[in-house]
Formats: sequence, structure tokens, C-alpha cells
Amino acid sequence: MKLGVILSEAVRTEETYDRLQAEKLSVVLAGNGIYHAVSKNNGKASDVLNKNADFYVLTEDLESRGFTASDLVDSKIKPIGFDGLVDLIMDQHDKFMWL
Amino acid sequence: MGKLTIGVFSSLVGGTTLDFSVRLAKAAKDKGHDVYFWTSGNATMLSKTGQRAFKDYSYLAKICEELAGQGVEFVACEACAEARGYHKEDTFSVFKRHSMDWYLAKCCQSDKILHIGGE
Repeated sequence: MKLGVILSEAVRTEETYDRLQAEKLSVVLAGNGIYHAVSKNNGKASDVLNKNADFYVLTEDLESRGFTASDLVDSKIKPIGFDGLVDLIMDQHDKFMWL
Repeated sequence: MGKLTIGVFSSLVGGTTLDFSVRLAKAAKDKGHDVYFWTSGNATMLSKTGQRAFKDYSYLAKICEELAGQGVEFVACEACAEARGYHKEDTFSVFKRHSMDWYLAKCCQSDKILHIGGE
């Protein structure tokens, strides 16, 4: 299954994400979840990025918090807009979930 | 083009989750998809009439009106609204009120569902 997940929290309170497995997994960092894309703790990027997945960050949420694409801590994170998110949901994945 | 049902179970007006949900609905509609928008729990606050626009404050009611004009269906959970004191006469004109059967039916009829829980 092609599965997409929208991660919206900067501080995770669930363990679901760690258990997720899919034939193809995409992770969209939105809302306060964008901090996983721009922050380091003691020089180390967020564990969220360790997942074997395609990573996206929602540009509107990135910029509304004062960041730009140049602040991303890893080049594997791709900025997308809402139109890109719609395509991921409607055309490129079987299911999408919100965490 | 496909059918997308968005179910929002958390967030109040001014919260980021409702903002996200309405912006996603707009983007999906702009791309030509059919969009069904369900609110439950605290998210039923979006169905409250009399919301006012302020500078630098989220004002989703206007976007909802525009989207409803383009065919997006906005529905609030009737029981959730009543429980919060939002009665039929308090309901924003673009919103209908139904039981959760409506949401279940739209989920079954849609190509994709985004269920936003929380709290």
C-alpha cells in the first residue's frame, strides 16, 4: 500500500509513527510538524527523518513560522504547497492519515 | 477528478487544524475535486453564525462561503453543535447539520478521506 501521513505536532505524543510500514511511505510535515524539518537538537536532526520515506514540508506552514526552504536540515525534504498536497492525497497514495 | 471527504474532529476557530482543513478543501476544489467537509466536536465552532473578520486573525467563514458557492458541502455534527449550545438558529448559512451517518456515507462514497482527529 502507498501510505501518506501528515505529521502536525512538533512534540510527538504518539507511537503510531514509529510502527508505520508501507510499500511506499510519504511523510508531510505540516503545522508545528515543520519544526522536524528545520530544527536540530544537540546538532542532531529529528528522529522523524530517520524513517525510510519520502519527506515533504508544507511551504505555507514553513513560511508562516518564519522559515524558508534554505532552513531545511536535510535535502531529502521537499517543500510543497497545498496544491502539491492535494496531488499526493488524491493521485499518488492509497490512503492518507493525520498524526 | 475525485471525491475527497475531510473530517475535522478537533480545533476551534482560530486553531491551526481548522485553518489547515479549510485551506486543503480550497486547494482540492481549485483542482476540480468534489469536496465534502465534516466537522465534529470542537470543530463545529466553524458552523457558528456571526463570525467577524479582524485584521491578522483567521477568518475562515468567508472562504467557506466561497467554497460552498463552488459546491463544497459543509456539514456540522448536530449533536456536537447542540452539546456546545450552537442551535439551529445559530448555524452559519453555508452549513447543514446532520448525524454522523452523513459522514459515514460520504466516506463510503469518496475516493479519499482525511480524518483529522485529536484532542
